[in-house]
Amino acid sequence: MALEGASTDVRRAPSPEVPLGAEVRNETIAGPQANAGQAGGLEADRPTAPLATQGKPLEVAEFDVRTDEILVNMGPQHPSTHGVLRLVLRTDGEVVLEVTPHIGYLHRCAEKIGENVTARQWIPYTDRMDYLAGMNMNLGFALAVEKLLQIEVPEKGRHLRVLIAELNRIASHLVAAGTYGLDLGSFTPFMYCFRERERILDLFELVCGARLTYSYITVGGVTADLPPGWLQKCESFLDQFEPVIDELHVLLTSQAVFIRRTAGIGILPAETAIQYGCSGPVLRGSGVNWDLRRDGEPIYTRMYEGYRWEVIAQTDGRYPQDHPYPPVPKGAVLGDSWHRFYVRMLEVVQSVGLVRQAIEKYSRARGPVGEPIKQSQKLPKAEAYLETEAPKGQMGFLVVGDGTPVPRRCRARSSSFCNLSVLSELCRGCLVADVPAILGSLDIVLGEVDR
Amino acid sequence: MVDFLAQYLGSVWLAGTLWALVQVVLVLTVVMISVAFFTWLERKESARIQDRLGPTRVGGRFGWLQPVADGLKLLMKEDLIPAAADRVLFRAAPYVSFCAAFTVFVALPVASGWVALRLDAGVFFVLAVAGLEVLGVVLAGYASGSKWSLFGAMREAAQVVSYEVPLALSAVVPVMVAGSIDPVTIGDLQAGGFWNWLVFHDPFTFAAFFVYFTCAVASVNRAPFDLPEAESELVAGFMTEYSGFRWRVFFMAEYASMLAVSFLLVFLFLGAWHGPLPLVAGVYAVLGIPAGHPLAIFVAQLAGAGVFLVKGYLGVATMIWLRWTLPRLRIDQVMTMCLKYCLPLSAAMFLGAAVWLYAFPAGVTSRLLGPGAAATEAAGSPPAVAGRTALAEGER
Amino acid sequence: MAVHWHSFFFWLMAIMACGFALAVVFSNNIVRMAFYLILSLGAVSGLFFLAGADFLGAMQLMIYVGGTVVLLVFGVMLTARRPWVDMQTSGGQWVLAAVVGALLLAVLLQTAFSVPPWQSSAAAAGALPPAAEPTAGPLGLAMVGVRVERMADRPAAESSSGLAGYLLPFEIVSVHLVVVLVGAAYLARARRRLSAAAPARPLEEAPQ
Repeated sequence: MALEGASTDVRRAPSPEVPLGAEVRNETIAGPQANAGQAGGLEADRPTAPLATQGKPLEVAEFDVRTDEILVNMGPQHPSTHGVLRLVLRTDGEVVLEVTPHIGYLHRCAEKIGENVTARQWIPYTDRMDYLAGMNMNLGFALAVEKLLQIEVPEKGRHLRVLIAELNRIASHLVAAGTYGLDLGSFTPFMYCFRERERILDLFELVCGARLTYSYITVGGVTADLPPGWLQKCESFLDQFEPVIDELHVLLTSQAVFIRRTAGIGILPAETAIQYGCSGPVLRGSGVNWDLRRDGEPIYTRMYEGYRWEVIAQTDGRYPQDHPYPPVPKGAVLGDSWHRFYVRMLEVVQSVGLVRQAIEKYSRARGPVGEPIKQSQKLPKAEAYLETEAPKGQMGFLVVGDGTPVPRRCRARSSSFCNLSVLSELCRGCLVADVPAILGSLDIVLGEVDR
Repeated sequence: MVDFLAQYLGSVWLAGTLWALVQVVLVLTVVMISVAFFTWLERKESARIQDRLGPTRVGGRFGWLQPVADGLKLLMKEDLIPAAADRVLFRAAPYVSFCAAFTVFVALPVASGWVALRLDAGVFFVLAVAGLEVLGVVLAGYASGSKWSLFGAMREAAQVVSYEVPLALSAVVPVMVAGSIDPVTIGDLQAGGFWNWLVFHDPFTFAAFFVYFTCAVASVNRAPFDLPEAESELVAGFMTEYSGFRWRVFFMAEYASMLAVSFLLVFLFLGAWHGPLPLVAGVYAVLGIPAGHPLAIFVAQLAGAGVFLVKGYLGVATMIWLRWTLPRLRIDQVMTMCLKYCLPLSAAMFLGAAVWLYAFPAGVTSRLLGPGAAATEAAGSPPAVAGRTALAEGER
Repeated sequence: MAVHWHSFFFWLMAIMACGFALAVVFSNNIVRMAFYLILSLGAVSGLFFLAGADFLGAMQLMIYVGGTVVLLVFGVMLTARRPWVDMQTSGGQWVLAAVVGALLLAVLLQTAFSVPPWQSSAAAAGALPPAAEPTAGPLGLAMVGVRVERMADRPAAESSSGLAGYLLPFEIVSVHLVVVLVGAAYLARARRRLSAAAPARPLEEAPQ
C-alpha cells in the first residue's frame, strides 16, 4: 500500500523536523522504502523520535521485538477525523513516530470570494467555516467590519448577540463532547449531546429560520429581532439542560475508562501552546488564563461588560469552583486531553449562566436591536483585524476596505488551523489508538481549517 | 429415550440416529434463535439507552422480525472476495469461528439431565472449544489480504488468548467448590434457594464471579474491550473485507460465544437452572403432586430450562448494556488489565477459595446452623435431582 | 441399512486426520499448512472422543489446537514478509522424506500391532465402546502426585493405563519449559537505542 508520490530517495529520509500543516510535501513521507536499502541493524540511520508522552524528550535504550515501520493512512474518510482530514501516521509497531495532517479537502476559496462580494454578502461564507458555531463566526466578522466602519451596535443588540453567541457555544461544545466520546467508543453520550443540541437548533430555527448556517448576526446588528415567546422557550431549555450536564459528567468526565483513555495523553505544555498559536480550550487546558471575552479588544469585551462569569483555566492548581464540578482525577496532567475536555464542560456551565444573564439584560434593555448596514455602504480605505473567542478558539477576521462596498481582502484566521498544527507535536511517541483521543480533544472543524 | 423410541420405530439404530439428530437440531435451533433474538435485543437495548426507539416497523410495534429482515438483506448482498485474498481460507474462516462457537453448546446443560452430550469434563470441554474461535479470527485477518486486517486480527487474537487464562482460573473456583467439572453436577449442587448459589458460597467465589464476568466480556471481544474490532487502523479489523452473509456468520459466532460464556457464568455461579426460590418443589408440595412422577419431573425440568435461558439472556443483556455505556480501552490497557490485574486476582481467588474449603468443608451455613441444615436442603431439592439419575440411566 | 455410526465417524476422523496431515506435507503455502494442521489435530481429538476419552479429547483441543497452532499461526504471520510465503521442496528432499517416513511408519505399525489387545479387531466389530468412565477425578488426583493406580478401589483395567503417577513430574517439567521459553524470548529481544531528542523546533526555522 504505497502512497502516491512517495519518494524512494534515501537521502530524504524523514526526520522529526518536518514542516507541519499545509506546508508538508509528499516527498517527505518516504516511509519504509527509504530505509529498505540500508543494511545494518536498527541503530543505523533510524529517524529519531523523542518519547514526548511526559512532555519532555528522553534518550532511552529500548528493548523491543523487531517490528516494521509502517505508514498508516487515516484517510479523508475516517470516522474519527472530524471531517475530511487525512492523517498519515508513521508508526513503529504501535508507537506513532510522526503524524502528518493533510488538509485542503474542504477548501472552498472563501477568502477569494470575499474579494468579490460585499461585507454583508460574505456573512454566509463565515457560517460555513466553523459550521458548528455559525453564530460566533458571524459575530466575529460582523464585529471586524463594525470596527472598520466604526459603528456601534446598541445595547440591546449587544445583549442579544451575547445570548445567541453563548447559546451557540453550548451547542458547539456539545458536539465536541459527544463526538469525543464517540471516538473513544462511548456511543451513548453522543446521543444525549445531540438530543440537547437539537433543542438549541430548534431555538435557532425560530430565530432565523436556519439550523446550521444562520447568517443571523450581521454587520450593524442582527437580521431580525427575537420572535415573541422565544425567551421563555430558551429559559425552559436551560432549565432542563442543566441536569443533562451532570449526566454527561457521569458518563464521560468522571468515567474511569474515559479517564484512562484521556488522562496523561497528548500533554501540551503552555509554552508550546503559545508558540503554536493555540487558543480556546486547547490553550486554557494547558493552564494559560487567557480568554478574549475578558482580555480582547474593547469592541468585543464591552459586549461582556456587566456579566458575571469565570474564565475556565487552572490557576494556582485550581479551577474556578463556583459550581460543584467533578474533581480532577489523579492521572490527569495539566495540558492533557482530559483537561481540554474538562475546560469545555466547565465552559458549558459558564455559558448557561451567561445566557441566563443575557436573557435578563436583553429583556430589561430598551431601544433598537441594531439595523444591518446597507449593501451599498462603502468601506473606508483602512483595515481592521479583530479576534473573537469562538468556541474552538480565537477566530480572527481581517477586513481591508478600499472605498467600495466590496472589501479588498477578507482574511479569516482560523483557530482550528493553529490548533491542528500542534497535533504532530502531541502525537509523537503515543500509541496509534491515542491519535483519535488527541485529535478529538483538539476539537477541530475542517470547514474552519480549510475555509 | 432410545429404547423408548425403538419400541415404536422397530430398530435401535434408527431410534439412536433420530435421537441424536433431534438433539443436534434442538441445540442448533435454540442457539440460532437466541442469536437472532440478540440481534434484536442489541438494537432495542442500545436504542433505549440512547434515548431512541430502535426497530419499530418490521413485525409490529416492537420490530420483532428485524433480525429476519437483517438476515435477508445480508443474504442478498454481493459476495465479495478481495483480489489479494487467499480464497480457500477467506471462505473457511467464518465457518471455523462458527463451528467453534456453536459446538460449545453441545456440552452445556439447560436443565438437570437435559444436555446433548453429558461429558464428565464438561466445563473443560467448553473452555477448550470456546478458545478455538480465535482461530477463525486469525485466519480471517490473514486471508483478507490486507496488512491492516492482519494486524487487527493479531491484536484481537492476542487479547482473546491472554484473557482465556484468567477466565479459566476464575472458572475453576466454583468447580473446586463443587468438586466436579461436570456441569450437571455443579448445577444440581445449587438446588434450593438463591443462598445456595455458588456465588454466595464464600467471598472468594463472589469475587471470582466478577473477575470471570470481566474476562468473559474481554474474551468475546465486547464492551470496553473491543478496540481490535472497532477502531484499529481500518474500519473493522479482521472483519473489514467481510460483507454480506460471511459477516453475518462472524456475528452469529460472536453472539453465540457471548451466550456460551453467559451460560457458563450462570451454571458456575448463578444457580444454573434453579430459580431464586424453590418454587417448583413448593408448588408440588402444596398441590400434593408426587415428585417422582415422570410428568412432574418433565415440568420441573422445563421450568428449570426456562429459568436457565432467562438467566443466560440476562447475562448477555448486561454485556450489551456495558457495551453501550463504557468507552473503549486501548489495547495496551486491555493487556495490562489482564496480565497485571485479572490474572493475579483470579489466582488469588483460587487460592483463597481453596483455603476456605479447607477451613469450612461443609459450608459456613452448616457450621452456623448445624449439620442437619445440609440434610434438609438436600431433601428439599427439586425432583429434578431424583429424576436426573433415572433419565441419565435411560439415556445410557 | 444401518450405518454403524461409530465406524463411520472413526473412518471419517481417520481419513481427515491422515488426509490433512498429507495436505500439510504437500502444501506450499505456510499459512494453509497451519490451517490443515488445525483440522488434522481436530480430527485426532475427535478420535479421542470416539474412544471415550473425553478429558483427553478436550485437552487435545485446548493444548494442541487452541494453544500450539495459535502460536504457530502467530509466529508465521508475524514473521512473514508478504502474505504469501511459498515453500518449495526439491526432489531430493522428497525422496529423503519418503524414506524416513516409510521407516517411521514401519516402526510404528510393528509397535502398534505388538500390543496384545490391539491385535484383533473382532471384538470391536459390533460393540460400542465402554461407557465413558469419569476420567477427570483420577487425572486430577494424579496431577498432584497421588499414585492413582495403587489406590485400593481402582478397577484393575486402569492399572496399566497412563495414570502411572508420573503426571506430577511431567507437569513440573512443562512449567520449567515455559520458564525456559519465556527466558529465551526475553534474551532474544533486539536492543534499539533512540538517540538524543531533536531540539524543539526554533521559530526562525521557516518552512520552504
